[in-house]
Amino acid sequence: MKRLIAIILIAVLGQALGQAAERFDFHTIRKPASTAVQGVLEGEFLQASGRARPQGMSGFGAGWSGDAHLLWDGVVGDSNTVEFSVGETGKYALAMRWTLAPDYGLFEVRLNGKVIESKLDLYSPDVRLAKLRELGELELNAGTQRIEIKLIGANAKASKYQKKGYLYGLDYLKLTDSAPKPVKVEEPEQAVVVKVDFAEARALMKQHCFRCHGAKKVKGKVNLEALAKRSDVLKDVELARHAAEALAKAEMPPEDEPQPAKGERAKLAAFFEGVVDEYVSANTTLEPVVMRRLNRYEYNNAVRDLLELRGDIYPLPEKVIRSSQYFDPASGRMPAGVTVGNRTLGKFQVERQILSGVDPFAIDLQAEHGFNNQGEQLSIPPILLESLLKLGRSIVNAKEFDDYTALRDTIFKDNGKPVAKRLRPFLERAFRSPVDEATLARYTAFHTSEQKRTGSYTTAMKSVVAAVLASPKFIYVVESKQGAGEKTPANDYELAQRLSLFLWSSIPDEPLLAAAREGQLRQPALLEAQVRRMLNDRRSRALSENFARQWLRLDQLITAVPDFDRFQVYYSRIGCEQWKFGLQTMVEPLLLFESVQVEDRSIMLFVDSNYAYRSDELQAWYNKPEAPFGNRGNRNRFNTFTQPFRKRQLTTRREGGVMTTAAVLTMTSTPLRTSPIKRGAWVATVMFNDPPPPPPDVVPEIEADDAAIEAKGLTIRERLKQHATDQSCASCHARIDPLGFVLESFDPIGRWRDQYRGGRDIDASGKLFGEAEFKDIEQFKDAILARPEKFMRAFSEHLLSYALGRELKVTDKPAIDRITRRVTADHGRFSTVVVEIAKSMPFRHKTGQNERK
Amino acid sequence: MNVLKNKNIPRRTFLHGCGAALALPFLDVMHTRGASASAPKRVAFFYVPNGVAQEAWHPKETGHNFALSRTLQPLEPVRKKISLFTNLDRVKVPGTDGHAQAGTCYLSTAAPDELSPAGYPIKRTIDQIIADTAGKTTPFRSLELSCNSFTDNKESVYFDNISWYGHGHVARSIKDPRKVFQRLFNVKEHQANASVLDLVRADAKDLKGRLGRLDRHKLDEYMDSVRTVEQQIERITKQQVDANELGIEQPEKLWTSMRRDEYIQVMGDLMILALQTDLTRVSSMMVAPERWDTPLMFEDVFAKPILHHGWTHNQRNEKVLSDLEKLDQFYMRQFSQICQKMDAIKEGDGTLLDSMMFTYGSGLSSGMLHECSNLPTVIAGSAGGQLKTNRHDQHAKGTPIANLWVSMAQAMGCPIQKLGDSTGALKGFLA
Repeated sequence: MKRLIAIILIAVLGQALGQAAERFDFHTIRKPASTAVQGVLEGEFLQASGRARPQGMSGFGAGWSGDAHLLWDGVVGDSNTVEFSVGETGKYALAMRWTLAPDYGLFEVRLNGKVIESKLDLYSPDVRLAKLRELGELELNAGTQRIEIKLIGANAKASKYQKKGYLYGLDYLKLTDSAPKPVKVEEPEQAVVVKVDFAEARALMKQHCFRCHGAKKVKGKVNLEALAKRSDVLKDVELARHAAEALAKAEMPPEDEPQPAKGERAKLAAFFEGVVDEYVSANTTLEPVVMRRLNRYEYNNAVRDLLELRGDIYPLPEKVIRSSQYFDPASGRMPAGVTVGNRTLGKFQVERQILSGVDPFAIDLQAEHGFNNQGEQLSIPPILLESLLKLGRSIVNAKEFDDYTALRDTIFKDNGKPVAKRLRPFLERAFRSPVDEATLARYTAFHTSEQKRTGSYTTAMKSVVAAVLASPKFIYVVESKQGAGEKTPANDYELAQRLSLFLWSSIPDEPLLAAAREGQLRQPALLEAQVRRMLNDRRSRALSENFARQWLRLDQLITAVPDFDRFQVYYSRIGCEQWKFGLQTMVEPLLLFESVQVEDRSIMLFVDSNYAYRSDELQAWYNKPEAPFGNRGNRNRFNTFTQPFRKRQLTTRREGGVMTTAAVLTMTSTPLRTSPIKRGAWVATVMFNDPPPPPPDVVPEIEADDAAIEAKGLTIRERLKQHATDQSCASCHARIDPLGFVLESFDPIGRWRDQYRGGRDIDASGKLFGEAEFKDIEQFKDAILARPEKFMRAFSEHLLSYALGRELKVTDKPAIDRITRRVTADHGRFSTVVVEIAKSMPFRHKTGQNERK
Repeated sequence: MNVLKNKNIPRRTFLHGCGAALALPFLDVMHTRGASASAPKRVAFFYVPNGVAQEAWHPKETGHNFALSRTLQPLEPVRKKISLFTNLDRVKVPGTDGHAQAGTCYLSTAAPDELSPAGYPIKRTIDQIIADTAGKTTPFRSLELSCNSFTDNKESVYFDNISWYGHGHVARSIKDPRKVFQRLFNVKEHQANASVLDLVRADAKDLKGRLGRLDRHKLDEYMDSVRTVEQQIERITKQQVDANELGIEQPEKLWTSMRRDEYIQVMGDLMILALQTDLTRVSSMMVAPERWDTPLMFEDVFAKPILHHGWTHNQRNEKVLSDLEKLDQFYMRQFSQICQKMDAIKEGDGTLLDSMMFTYGSGLSSGMLHECSNLPTVIAGSAGGQLKTNRHDQHAKGTPIANLWVSMAQAMGCPIQKLGDSTGALKGFLA
């Protein structure tokens, strides 16, 4: 019966889309659970029964993975179960790491009923970690695995817990797939490009384009009639690229003009494509990247990793989610529930100091089209140099520093060895390049003079470190341009630096530097191995914290102010606007991103996912908008420090993906109404990487309150239509507005609505890329899913631009084409996007900056 | 809160901008310790984003007997010390956002066809050119402030800065009044920076050989900054204006919880302090960034947060227009209050204000169509008696505002004849 319904559904959907093919379910793309290298499952995050609970262990010293373990207590004879699951049937090696303590007991441990530990004694006179217990290879069936842990007694020396029982502490389980199946991606043949000659193309242009883009009328400064031969088109390759895109997306000719036949459109698009391809095959010079400095986020990560700190050096408002322990890409699974603080709640999380006297420098804004890692605005004026000089000093001199760094007993402690010998590896890592003798001698001499001045080896070493942190060799992202031509392979150290900035927003770690030293990174297979290792490292969280936040433009929510009277639910309590409940909506799309990253799912889930991470309040926000806080009323409706977010299976396809999250829908609204233009521009920019041009000088006057629009008997859609009749605005609005209208079914704070407040029905219909009609958001998502390469290309472009720290140019097209082909063939698997970018030509090459143009 | 508990309040004063002409308590201290017989000339800019409502702004009459327009009303207490200039234009260059260009290029000295790689006609701004001369002896060559309290990253750097050393090299403004205070008065902190400068300079020299042409420009910026920081340390040590001696403490309240007027006035106070104690002679402040379509609260002016930018495009609506005028008046009140505070500070025979050219302006005239002709321009003070005041000069239509910049530079002692698209000095600017 179920199957029949499914078949009918597919048939209906297929019809609606005008195509018969069954659509791929992107949810099937997922990393097999726990089979990754270092497949560590944290005890504190395991599904556990009974009295088991997480306990923070940072008070007992360093070493506990994630600084926490799972703690349980009971009396002899009691037991509890811990569950985990594996994605595929196969052989796995299992190991467990326990905590030892004076009041811990003697246990029997069974896996799926089979004894794997018969007498596990967790007693120790002090609290410490036990050695990792290797439990050998086990045959596991796909699905849930149960570990039963039974308290069977205690060591004679053990003391009782609360006078009656004993405890255990489980730091983590480690699961390794003994026979991982290689993931193989078949790259499809390069698409066959139809050659269209100029005469044929010109005839078509004459018929369809010249009337507006010809000698008589030159709309949008585009005169196609002036292009008399193929070489003319070749000279204006940007125009050719735009023409190809406008044709492919059916933006041109405009909707109200006679449309070319389907074959004609394809031919004309192919002509322009052909010109672009010809251009890029003849002009392979990459866009030069100008040396830039680290931005504020990268500086924090670089210092944290260089000095092996336990955490950040200063609070970063850039970080939306304030917890990181759950983020464990090596496990291949996001926990079903995470408890996170976020910047929303209370200023103190943002303003508190982590290290006394350490203040961040001012935030770096996003570039006009791109990310905050573009050189254009990353310069060092005097005021910033002052901040950097002070920062370096204040970090090493903070009173908490000695306990915060893992280097206290190594580099900061005199062990009688020559200073130069100790400084060399430190400087190599700080400067991401081999250290020359002169530099080493300078820093060594500085240490000597500081030691003489202060009488302390340690203090002198701190001065050295403070100087390192202000050195241009640390602050700037330097690549040698000596002898660099138009396209020169980046050297191994430069590749290491590019990789660490891309994936960790930080400096390389020792394994990466070692690979660079040995010349491994220039070999694609070894480069890929490093990328996969780095993706499995917790530091890859930077992709969510830094890239995803900027890609989704999430910062814009922070200062959104839905009208206080009309949307009281957005605020935490009446009379206090400071605490905006609504800000916790930012967490939802970011946790979706992290789940796709950690579980290596398909990026198409950003378009449409069947799950979402939400707090109870947020879930009710969507589903019970009339009383999202139940009977708790308007005061103190939620914990302002942290909220538990749980993974929820979605019951409607209206929800899921990023476009329909409350965060996105709220930040693209104004206080008293939605703004289809802003929403459309957001979708065009974020989802299709097709940002609209800057708004014209004549910006339409639209009433600020939708009540005023409805009083005229109009919906906002009708109101905007009145404006778009102006010919000069029409072509842009025809492009942007429909992408916003489809979201009209959501009110200014992202809740579903069938009608406007005044009673008019919502019209969310439109057409995507000039070919796919849709009635509502579900059909809109279907239209994107049916053409997955469009979103995959856009996402790859965003991520490549982030990886390169520059805007993309037409000469990047071959690389983008190749990345998109491989990503599409692998159904959008997240790691494939990342790996293909790292292996792409622009990422592995640099360009000299000799006099050009 | 009991932050105040252990403080000796009568002796020490916290900066808090509320109230009209706050009497700064340490004037005499400064007067006796500070300036020589003739006060130095100073220049400062007060930048208002998004343009102004035109009708209510421009006075009808010219010459000495002009009546203050509705928006200019708050200037009544200082009217004898101001000059108004109309019909000064900037040339708008297509291809970049109207607001970004308005802010970034307002003080730019580039001609309209001198475009940066990012497409802006941006080159070293006039305040920095003046600082090249006027900042030769002061600890800080210039001081850039911004009352941008938005915590989101909505707009790019071009919306948020009016002062540039050159294209791609922004003179970053400070937004947190406490940071401004620390920078101005924490001499020890500056001195502590000295120890590593030689080391990092040597590193920079090392790098030079490895770099490409464009990279070297970036490194030059770093080297310039090292030199500037070095000079700052040297000069501030010599001058030793220490907050302890002034008996003034940094703002007690966090900037993010300040009222709008309070925030602007605290920044104004800090600017005054820096000028008065001769820590710098060049300063600029943005009262808010350009565009930034994010609602902002103006306490006691509007009941709810407002969208300045949105309003400017909607001013054909009467209610919106009248609200916009209210907002323009609010900013004018803030400007006037800072003028009045400057005028309350005696220096030699005159006041601090007399030594200034404190310039109110915007990179747009009307925000409705992003117009750049007839930019609203008020200069308070006379640069030590060099300017005629209490007047409204109406210039020929289309006079480049670069002419004003040439004249101001000359009044500050920079021998400049031409900047960007200027056609000469501004007629009748000097008395």
